Amino acid sequence: MKRTLTVCPYCGVGCTFYLVSDGGRLVGVEPSTTSPVNRGGLCVKGWNAYAFVHHPDRLTTPLMRRDGVLQPASWNEALNLVVERLQAVQETHGKDAVMFASSAKATNEENFLLMKLARAVFGTNNIDHCARLCHSSTVTGLAETFGSGAMTNSISCFDQTDVILVIGSNTTEQHPLIGSRILNAVRNGTRLIVADNRRIRLARHAALHLRHKNGSDVALLNGMMHVIIAEGLADREFIANRTENYDALAGSVTDWTPERTAAATGLSADKIIAAARMYAGAGRAMIVYSMGITQHSHGVDNVRCIASLAMLTGNVGRLGTGVNPLRGQNNVQGGCDMGALPDLYSGYQKVSDPLMRDKFARAWGVSSLPSEPGLPLTRAMDTASEGRLHGMFIMGENPMLSDPDQGHVRKVLENLELLVVQDIFLTETAAVADIVLPAACFAEKEGTFTSTERRVQRLHKAVEPPGQARADWKIICDIAERAGYEGMRYSSPAEILDEAASLTPIYGGIIYKRLDAPGLQWPCPDQEHPGTPIMHLDRFSRGLGHFTPVSHRLPAELPDEQYPFVLTTGRTYFHWHTGSMTRRTHLLAREEPCSFIELHPDDAAMIGIRNRDMLLVSSRRGEIRTEARMTEMVIPGVLFMPFHFAEGAANALTNNVLDPESSIPEFKVCAVRLEKIP
Amino acid sequence: MKLLTPELLDAFFATLSQRWELRLPILLPDGTRIIGSLIDGRLALHGGAVSGKPTAAFFPQQSTLLSVTDGTVEETPSPPPLFIVGFTPSDLASLRFIDRFFADGWRDDLYFTLRENAAIAALSGYCGLGGALIPLAGGDCDLEFFWDRSSWLVIAYSETGKKLIEDLPDAARTEVVELLRQTTPSLPDENETVIRAASLLLRADRVPDSFWAEIGDRCIACTGCNLACPTCTCFGVQDWRSANKTERSRMWDSCQLDGFMREAGGHNPLGSEAERTRRRIHHKLAADPQKWGEISCFLCGRCDAVCPTGIGILAVAGEIVARFA
Repeated sequence: MKRTLTVCPYCGVGCTFYLVSDGGRLVGVEPSTTSPVNRGGLCVKGWNAYAFVHHPDRLTTPLMRRDGVLQPASWNEALNLVVERLQAVQETHGKDAVMFASSAKATNEENFLLMKLARAVFGTNNIDHCARLCHSSTVTGLAETFGSGAMTNSISCFDQTDVILVIGSNTTEQHPLIGSRILNAVRNGTRLIVADNRRIRLARHAALHLRHKNGSDVALLNGMMHVIIAEGLADREFIANRTENYDALAGSVTDWTPERTAAATGLSADKIIAAARMYAGAGRAMIVYSMGITQHSHGVDNVRCIASLAMLTGNVGRLGTGVNPLRGQNNVQGGCDMGALPDLYSGYQKVSDPLMRDKFARAWGVSSLPSEPGLPLTRAMDTASEGRLHGMFIMGENPMLSDPDQGHVRKVLENLELLVVQDIFLTETAAVADIVLPAACFAEKEGTFTSTERRVQRLHKAVEPPGQARADWKIICDIAERAGYEGMRYSSPAEILDEAASLTPIYGGIIYKRLDAPGLQWPCPDQEHPGTPIMHLDRFSRGLGHFTPVSHRLPAELPDEQYPFVLTTGRTYFHWHTGSMTRRTHLLAREEPCSFIELHPDDAAMIGIRNRDMLLVSSRRGEIRTEARMTEMVIPGVLFMPFHFAEGAANALTNNVLDPESSIPEFKVCAVRLEKIP
Repeated sequence: MKLLTPELLDAFFATLSQRWELRLPILLPDGTRIIGSLIDGRLALHGGAVSGKPTAAFFPQQSTLLSVTDGTVEETPSPPPLFIVGFTPSDLASLRFIDRFFADGWRDDLYFTLRENAAIAALSGYCGLGGALIPLAGGDCDLEFFWDRSSWLVIAYSETGKKLIEDLPDAARTEVVELLRQTTPSLPDENETVIRAASLLLRADRVPDSFWAEIGDRCIACTGCNLACPTCTCFGVQDWRSANKTERSRMWDSCQLDGFMREAGGHNPLGSEAERTRRRIHHKLAADPQKWGEISCFLCGRCDAVCPTGIGILAVAGEIVARFA
């Protein structure tokens, strides 16, 4: 019986636990009782995080498509073919004809290496990962307003605040060990405002529940700011000393009277005023948000409004305050930090900056690096269908289920000249690949993950990978070597993080020997620095906080006669994203075994549907069959659907309309119609 | 009664390790204290109840029931003899409870294969958290290690136990143990008073549904209460099939999950968090006293420690007594 301390592979909270193994097999988990994050508890996914690791579906050998069928191959054959064909695509169509998709499930070291592989070895900035689908709006919006696109405060701040505004985050289900802190805070006297038209669990504990219309967040936030300014509740001193462009913001919200806001949001004016007073009247107030804010065609504007609301009331840079975007994946913060982004190197250093290019080129021993920002993941499918992208290398992502407009994604992936997928299971995406590389999962390798509160923590190897599967970082190094690049030889992930730290100022002091539990929170510029629990203490990362006025824009596709319902998509508590791990975990799969759609009983009655009837749901992109779940969780006219299920895939319906600045898709609003299947 | 001085502990356990697989209270790298192997952390006999279900030694979170390859059932190798140290008197009561449960009606071979191959040692005396007194176990185990603030006094309760310590010197001063042996049954325990009062209120149907709705609203269905509880014994079963192999295993289940009682047709008699939370507490405090003649919560405090929202059994019992007594 052996215990190995590691970090949970599911959400971004950063809970740590021990994997219990016996004879080389995992048999359970035990939560860390000293972790300042999870304090001895875990959520149901954490308690079951061991359970998929030895599943018989794990990929154990490289696969190559021969005669139309994926067949076992040797590593030598598979890796040689990967390099040969990537190079062939580039020779025929140019360097930018290939794209690399990195993974928020992989370690910091692996994300750093894949972006290095793309840029230094294959000469393209076409590198991105699923942060594009979740918090790219945050990265863009908070970089502009604060100078840093990460959670400003720490998870411990939830214990020390007077008011929490949760907007667009189902925290108890998606970040359960933060959600539970919010529940505890409320029991200890913190007042809670929930802005979300789903009746999520937190709403049962809220002093105010604002069920505003989907896509009306800018109106709501502008309306709240109007009330705060009109009633003299703004923090004049903070605004004067710490911010710029206030007058423009104040001017832009002048017209957002409670009455106008009420009309735009569907809320009563009284509730808007009460929310503004409660938030602005608190000594310390925190804002928590997630995909309900970011996944809109105006996601960046939503984030700007949130930043403005916090600055307007001086709720930044102090204990128990802040703007707290909850990062979804275990290492989506790290994926961004490590530069798995088309326009940024690690540490958010711009590829368009010649000094940065020169710094990285010298460190990596190459004569030059590409200067033009690469493709965002969400534009890759259109670029491929336009004939400008011909090969993709996808590590640990499953766009066939996770990206919007599945029909389009399928057509594109099937028509690529080359699709390489590196994963732990034969996902829906891997199933259409030309070459599949079997990877080690979180329990089978060393590395670091960075949690939502910017906490870098080590994971440790508990068991061997199955069959011939290898850690992602080793596979990437092998590919670089075969492509003729000699600058990717490492004896361990620690050496990779050393290199990343030497090139990444916010990680400058983060090295393995300092990463005993509970890890370090960046910015941590040097090896004497203790890490940063709260950002923007005396000054914002960019100097002064910048108010950006924002106009309200409607979602791209609203209901009409043909498609009369709003569909909003998300996740359930029991599954993770495309279900490759959780649907192979007995208890989790038992809880939510199949695709479903939530609809209000009034809507169900109107079209003659009973609970668990099978429905045909159609949008302008596609149609699926799924099971009806009648619930007052949703308001009439709005449907909710999780995207975990290959059969009844929500993303066959969603709309790949993008925020113009962040390229995030509008997962939260599209128009659909329902029909009962006889 | 034998004497084991702190400086001889390492040698004592090293000798035992030649014949037994040792599981001892250890401090893991981040300070988490559990019962485990010395290769994972240093010995930590002091500190009271360890975290984690102590009965997991015999009923692990996941275990293989059956493995069939090419139509042939694989032989399961006999487990090595286990020597487990670290049960508190409360943990021993839990073990006694589930021993009876797993033997009742049908006999759980998997459990008893491990259980009957193990020797168990309790920890008591002034070795609780911050030096707090842990009452004398007085039996239900092979050995008891009693910390008298300077040495371990070791008491054997079985033939196996006697053999394990036969080479240790006799203890000269044993008065403290004798004193505790006489006073332990009358030591007051506030938690026990609360849990018994809550049990009576539940059995008298004095706790309204609205209370369970409130508690249920705070349940995030993490299942930790069940997974940490030494008397929770529910498990699920899964089959993993590949080309030539089928492996059947069981894993800890939780009555806090919707799927635990959901019928195939979709109806669920425990279809809300309120009903499930009510059932969890009722089972321990009302149903088990009827079936087994005793409350099946032995006040180890683990569910209260792992619950992220403060609705472990002691916390809930406390609220019941405060509001409905």
